[in-house]
Amino acid sequence: MASKSRYPITRRRLLKTGGTVAAGAVLGPLLLTERTIAQSRTVYVNTWGGSWTAAEEAAFFKPFTDATGIRVRTVAPVSYAKLKAQVQSGTYEWDITAINQSDWLRAEREGFVEPIDWTVVQKDKLFPDAVFANGIAYCALGTNLCYRKDKFPNGGPKSWADFWDVKKFPGNRSLYNNAPRSVLYALLADGVPHDKVYPLDVDRAFKKLDQIKPHIKVWWTQGNQSQQLIRDGEIDMMAIWNARASELAEQGVPVELVWNGAHVGITMWGVAKGAPNRKLAWEFIQFAVQAKPQAEFCNRLFYGPTNPKAYEFVKPEIAKQMPTWPENAKQTIVANVEWEAANSASLQERFTQWLAS
Amino acid sequence: MAGVVAAPAGQAGLAAAPARGLPADSTPWLLLAPATLALVILFLLPIGYVLLLSVTDPAVSIAHYRRIFSVPLYTRVLFNTFTTALTVTGVCLLLGYPVAYVMARRSDWVSTALLICVAVCFWTGFIVRTYAWLVILGNKGPVVAVYQAFGFGAPPRLLFTTFSSILGMVHILLPYMVLALYSVMKKIDPNLLRASASLGARPAASFRAVYLPLTLPGVVNGSILVFTICLGFFITPILLGTPKDMMISQLINQQIEELLAWGFASAVAVVLLVATSIVLAVYNRFAGLDRLWG
Repeated sequence: MASKSRYPITRRRLLKTGGTVAAGAVLGPLLLTERTIAQSRTVYVNTWGGSWTAAEEAAFFKPFTDATGIRVRTVAPVSYAKLKAQVQSGTYEWDITAINQSDWLRAEREGFVEPIDWTVVQKDKLFPDAVFANGIAYCALGTNLCYRKDKFPNGGPKSWADFWDVKKFPGNRSLYNNAPRSVLYALLADGVPHDKVYPLDVDRAFKKLDQIKPHIKVWWTQGNQSQQLIRDGEIDMMAIWNARASELAEQGVPVELVWNGAHVGITMWGVAKGAPNRKLAWEFIQFAVQAKPQAEFCNRLFYGPTNPKAYEFVKPEIAKQMPTWPENAKQTIVANVEWEAANSASLQERFTQWLAS
Repeated sequence: MAGVVAAPAGQAGLAAAPARGLPADSTPWLLLAPATLALVILFLLPIGYVLLLSVTDPAVSIAHYRRIFSVPLYTRVLFNTFTTALTVTGVCLLLGYPVAYVMARRSDWVSTALLICVAVCFWTGFIVRTYAWLVILGNKGPVVAVYQAFGFGAPPRLLFTTFSSILGMVHILLPYMVLALYSVMKKIDPNLLRASASLGARPAASFRAVYLPLTLPGVVNGSILVFTICLGFFITPILLGTPKDMMISQLINQQIEELLAWGFASAVAVVLLVATSIVLAVYNRFAGLDRLWG
């Protein structure tokens, strides 16, 4: 009886309790949602997958999440076309992408690029020349001449002129199926000085390319393919992305990388126009271009840091293999992206037609 | 409900129905509706959009089509795409027919083993199979090793030729041909061949007069399947062939992925679609596509 009087179920009490439960039922999800949003501050990054993403995970994603609580999700592979598709459809799979400077410039001109949010990005924390076409420089990728040392015991080709010299350096050759780079190599082989090569003299280049065409066994299109060709000895000398060659050297394949006449392209970090997590995206990019994270990336994957201060943290034996290492940079040619962006469509068509005939 | 009620009425007055301006029997049409709707939304609308893009992106004009037919690259690659697809289809048919024949005619372990071989092939990713050919035909691969073991000297160049490109595509597409033929051959009554033999036909004559005509639906089905899938190939020719073996979808991909020229890519795709339709129309005129359904 006592218990009954301690918890009397009166009409008033019932209403009060019921009201609280009802309020909780209505407000509960709201509170929950707000907390979920706070927890799931996530930014989506378009990436290449494989060893590229693994290096990014260690150098950028994990330290960034540890420092800010913002989670990073990746979508592979990098798709330039998806940048356009996302902006046109207003449906976003990722916020951030990393593509080469000339493609990025074309995208910016077509309006697919989110302007840099200077309320998030701090200019004084960026290195000189970091900003280009509303993107921020990520890393430098070389496409170098590379040869198998075991095939040339008395010294291999040291320049594109040597690559073109099939009598002095006999062997199977391969080039990257890429118009601006092949045209550049042809002009260098034809004796055009490094500082006069842009704007590319396309007619002259194709005359020179005609000479080497019968000796090119493969025009490769994919990074894995290029590695397999020289690893298996299918090819004795080729144009290859510098980090791919360094990876082979680490695996014990006797390859030598030539810096003379290498084409260097800058990869840009950038945000798709109208991307839902753009504030977080700029926060991430600001973080990723600082010296320490850039160095961590380059220690794992040998694409050169764009932030000069990063070299303070790059291991010395690795630094020498970077496209932006001063000794190498003296011999390479940094792509003229204005020229590449303006001419890529017509040049690619002419090159493809030349290849197919 | 209306359809269900209408069904018996339609069956009863089949001849009278068209006069009333109503479908004779609307039930099949109602049953077809979901599939039709899905086809329209998922197939016709996107194709319509591609067609629209080809004349409106970046501006309203037929300049893209003019470019396709004035720059030699596109017509040349289109022609190569069709001859390649035709060659691959022919080789698949020649290789696949005997395999399917043995699979269908025998019911012991040989049939099972062959079926497993074909199925495993079918289920393995085409990139993996393409890279496998790079190893097999490569200069450290078994073909070259055997060649040199017999002391024939320097082996002929196998990789990065039109031959290796066709070989790779045939390997990938052969299972489609074999399964298409097998499904038709399995249904052929063996008694028909026995009857033909009992009437005095020799095996070759039986095969020519009885078996071969009965398998034609499978031949047509398999050939069209292989031909149309092959038209869209490009990774295998890129990895195994020469730039001369370029397929049209490689150019479409390049325009979409590297140059963001979706209008032009759409125009090339429309030309491919029209050319394919013409080939199938000609085929239908002479062979009859209705054989597809046996």
